[in-house]
Amino acid sequence: MLNFINAKLKNRILRLYLKGRSPDPIVQKNLLALHHLRIFQPALSYSYVVVDLETTGLDIKTDRAISIGAFRIRDGRVRLGDMFNRLINPERNIPPESIRIHGIVPDMIKDASTAAEAIDDFLGYLGEDILIAHHAAFDLHFLNRMMADRHGFNLQNLVIDTLPLCSRILFPQPYAMLSRPAKVNTGHYISPARQQTYLSLDSIAGLFGIKVWRRHTAVGDALATAMIFQRILSKMEKAGKGKLIHLINSGAI
Amino acid sequence: MDDYPLPRILNFLKKVVPFNMLESDVLQHIVSRTEIAFYPRGEKIIRMGDNASPNLFIIQTGAARVSITDETGSEILIDIRGEGDLFGGFSVLRGAEALFNVSAEEDLIVFLISIDEIKALIKANPKIKQYFDTTLVRNIKAVRKSADHQASLFTRDNQLDIDMFLTGKRVSELMTANVLTCLPGKTVQQAARDMLDRRVGSIVVVDENGTVVGIVTDADLSSKILADGRSIQTPVHEIMSAPVSSISSQAYTFDALLDMSRHDLSQLVVIDDGQLAGIISERDFQIEIGSSPLGIINDIDKSQSIKEVVDLRSNVDRILEMAMRRSGEVRPMVALFAELNERVARRFVHIVEAEMIADGLGGPPAPYCWMAMGSEGRLEQTLFTDQDNALIYEDVPNKDNDEVQQWFLQMAERVVGALEQYGIPRCSGGIMASNPKWCLRLSDWEETFLGWIRNPTPTALRMATIFFDFRGINGAYDGAIRLRQSLIDMTKRRKHFFRVLAQNALYNRPPLGFLRQFVVEKTGEHKNKLNLKMNGLAPIVDAARVLALEQGLAVTNTMERLEALTDRGVINRELLSEIDDAYDFINFIRISHHLKFQAQGHLMTNFLDPALLNNIQRKWLKESFAIVSKLQDFLSVRYQVKFLKEA
Repeated sequence: MLNFINAKLKNRILRLYLKGRSPDPIVQKNLLALHHLRIFQPALSYSYVVVDLETTGLDIKTDRAISIGAFRIRDGRVRLGDMFNRLINPERNIPPESIRIHGIVPDMIKDASTAAEAIDDFLGYLGEDILIAHHAAFDLHFLNRMMADRHGFNLQNLVIDTLPLCSRILFPQPYAMLSRPAKVNTGHYISPARQQTYLSLDSIAGLFGIKVWRRHTAVGDALATAMIFQRILSKMEKAGKGKLIHLINSGAI
Repeated sequence: MDDYPLPRILNFLKKVVPFNMLESDVLQHIVSRTEIAFYPRGEKIIRMGDNASPNLFIIQTGAARVSITDETGSEILIDIRGEGDLFGGFSVLRGAEALFNVSAEEDLIVFLISIDEIKALIKANPKIKQYFDTTLVRNIKAVRKSADHQASLFTRDNQLDIDMFLTGKRVSELMTANVLTCLPGKTVQQAARDMLDRRVGSIVVVDENGTVVGIVTDADLSSKILADGRSIQTPVHEIMSAPVSSISSQAYTFDALLDMSRHDLSQLVVIDDGQLAGIISERDFQIEIGSSPLGIINDIDKSQSIKEVVDLRSNVDRILEMAMRRSGEVRPMVALFAELNERVARRFVHIVEAEMIADGLGGPPAPYCWMAMGSEGRLEQTLFTDQDNALIYEDVPNKDNDEVQQWFLQMAERVVGALEQYGIPRCSGGIMASNPKWCLRLSDWEETFLGWIRNPTPTALRMATIFFDFRGINGAYDGAIRLRQSLIDMTKRRKHFFRVLAQNALYNRPPLGFLRQFVVEKTGEHKNKLNLKMNGLAPIVDAARVLALEQGLAVTNTMERLEALTDRGVINRELLSEIDDAYDFINFIRISHHLKFQAQGHLMTNFLDPALLNNIQRKWLKESFAIVSKLQDFLSVRYQVKFLKEA
């Protein structure tokens, strides 16, 4: 809860700071992304955007996003037609070891959007929806970098991380049902979300019989995350924790 | 980037009927309009009677339970749907209200497509239209195929019996093709006489070309002739109703019912290509629905000859089949089987007794009672059953016994013969009242039983398992009841006997292996099949018998025994309800299997190839067998006996 109040506070300061300038409408809308949230409203009544990013690597300082994939959830349902899928030209080399993960080769991003175009498009898609990601800090970092480079401040949306939600809501007994962590092969590139093998997308999705149609593409992972988040919403509602505040308390970053 | 998740979903839809008939670009559009929903196990998705669902659901993972709620508010299972199956499709067909309850049997991931989207599809694709047009029929076929049951739906205010709707029959299957007709010039008097002769409630008026011009019903006669005081010499065309309400013979009976109900008609004329094809009336529906097993019971009880009863057999079968399709549960149906068989046997005994007198052989020389044995004694027999009966009569002095027994044997032979004619084969083991060994006076029965109890040889035990479930089914003579009491007294504190009986009950183990896979027959005619009776039901029946005898219970029905045992605290309620489910399920699979075999003209057996079951049925069957094992474990501990052979 505190971080939500904190975020609202920061948002207000930011808006005060930006007062007098006239940012473009998309940005203006993002600035008001927390406005419509009422913490005692049912979480199911809000619209969510579940996002996943592929990046050139693990280093949050030097690496860049190369694709954004997202699906929208409304009324607890994933809308397949309402998808965001964008390749981004990172304007630097894509390390071969990361290609092995996401399968995006330099040829494919020759004509891809710039980071600035991509983030503007994404802002338009995102609107004031609540942002969801698995191990959200990682994805948010890269989104915020693009955002800051382009508009000078971070995304203002409420962000919920499914990773703590999985451990708190879906598996309250710590990992008892999940398989032991696979041995990490240091020769491979492994994103932080995947390093947490206990609660990796793969193991959770596998456990629920969620078919991951295409792993390690941004949209494929976003869909898997969306379907996991669906379960979380359903389970929280069943447990009488169906209000937005419960979601914020358990998963906001 | 052709590897979005969407093409994978498209590929999934490509395997789902009827979407498999669509071109890729159409499917692509459909996918873009699809939503994914998740329902946790137990969640209700559609409620019967609510507004029809605005979506068609396609199951991606998990299972959905389709059911209805009957008038008493209890839930009747219709079908379990699994991966790739649809639900909510009925609303495509007929909007208004949901006809079924649907809930998540397991955690459920479904694709949702809006009905509007489907309707647009239907408009553009005749094949899809055809699919949804026949949804009902296929649904029912699927239900039958999966050996699941369906039930009479409900009779609502508008008197629609959705059972007919469900069975998806065509008018041609139900109509009367031989229609009473007359020319328009015929007098009302003649028409009325024809109707009376044929015992029908209507006459169709046709012109010289065979074209239907009107109809006269008995209601017309009473309102237009009697009430209006017209002459009975009036030509029928003056009083007939015209034009007639008609329907095609290829229409669904449901639509016929709907029309009749909407326009408050008691019959519809069936017309194909302008020609009269038949007539369908409320009565046809009543007969088809088989609404009155009571009627047939009445017919049996009124029969005056063996032939009359034998002739009723096909009606009985029809009622049983209807009952199987209609009643959601096994037990009422088995009870109906038992009730009808018992009535038949009782009637035969009655008729034969009269015949004996008529043939100059005299009446019964002593009070007697016909006894049902084995499954019949337990009220558990099914279609696939043979005779197990015996006869008990009052003690007579030794010097008279031979003569008395002769009379009863002669009578029993006739009854057994009649039952055989009726379609219940003779017992291959000779356990029939016509066998001198099983046509005894009370004291001889007691002696026989005592012999088995004192010396429980394998043969004696086998007999005990059949005979100890005896039940008198006719007459005022209380011999069977007294014999039951003697048996209870005889077995009191016979610990050794119970141990042997318990050991015997553990002989047949449920066919589950160490890893809970099915253990099928390894060799012989029934290779790779399961014996549902021997390895599924018999262990429950045997266990219940041992425990009931030990507790001195007089009831013979297995579930009644188990319930009484629960009341006495011998077994706990949790185990009871588990066994209850297991017993019903195994029996259900067995009976539906019998009916299927019978319908296909095969010999009925208790052997089942598990490959014929769907996933969920296999899972349930395994669960059921596991519960049977649990009961056997309980028996093994209670009587401190070991299993004789491992499964």
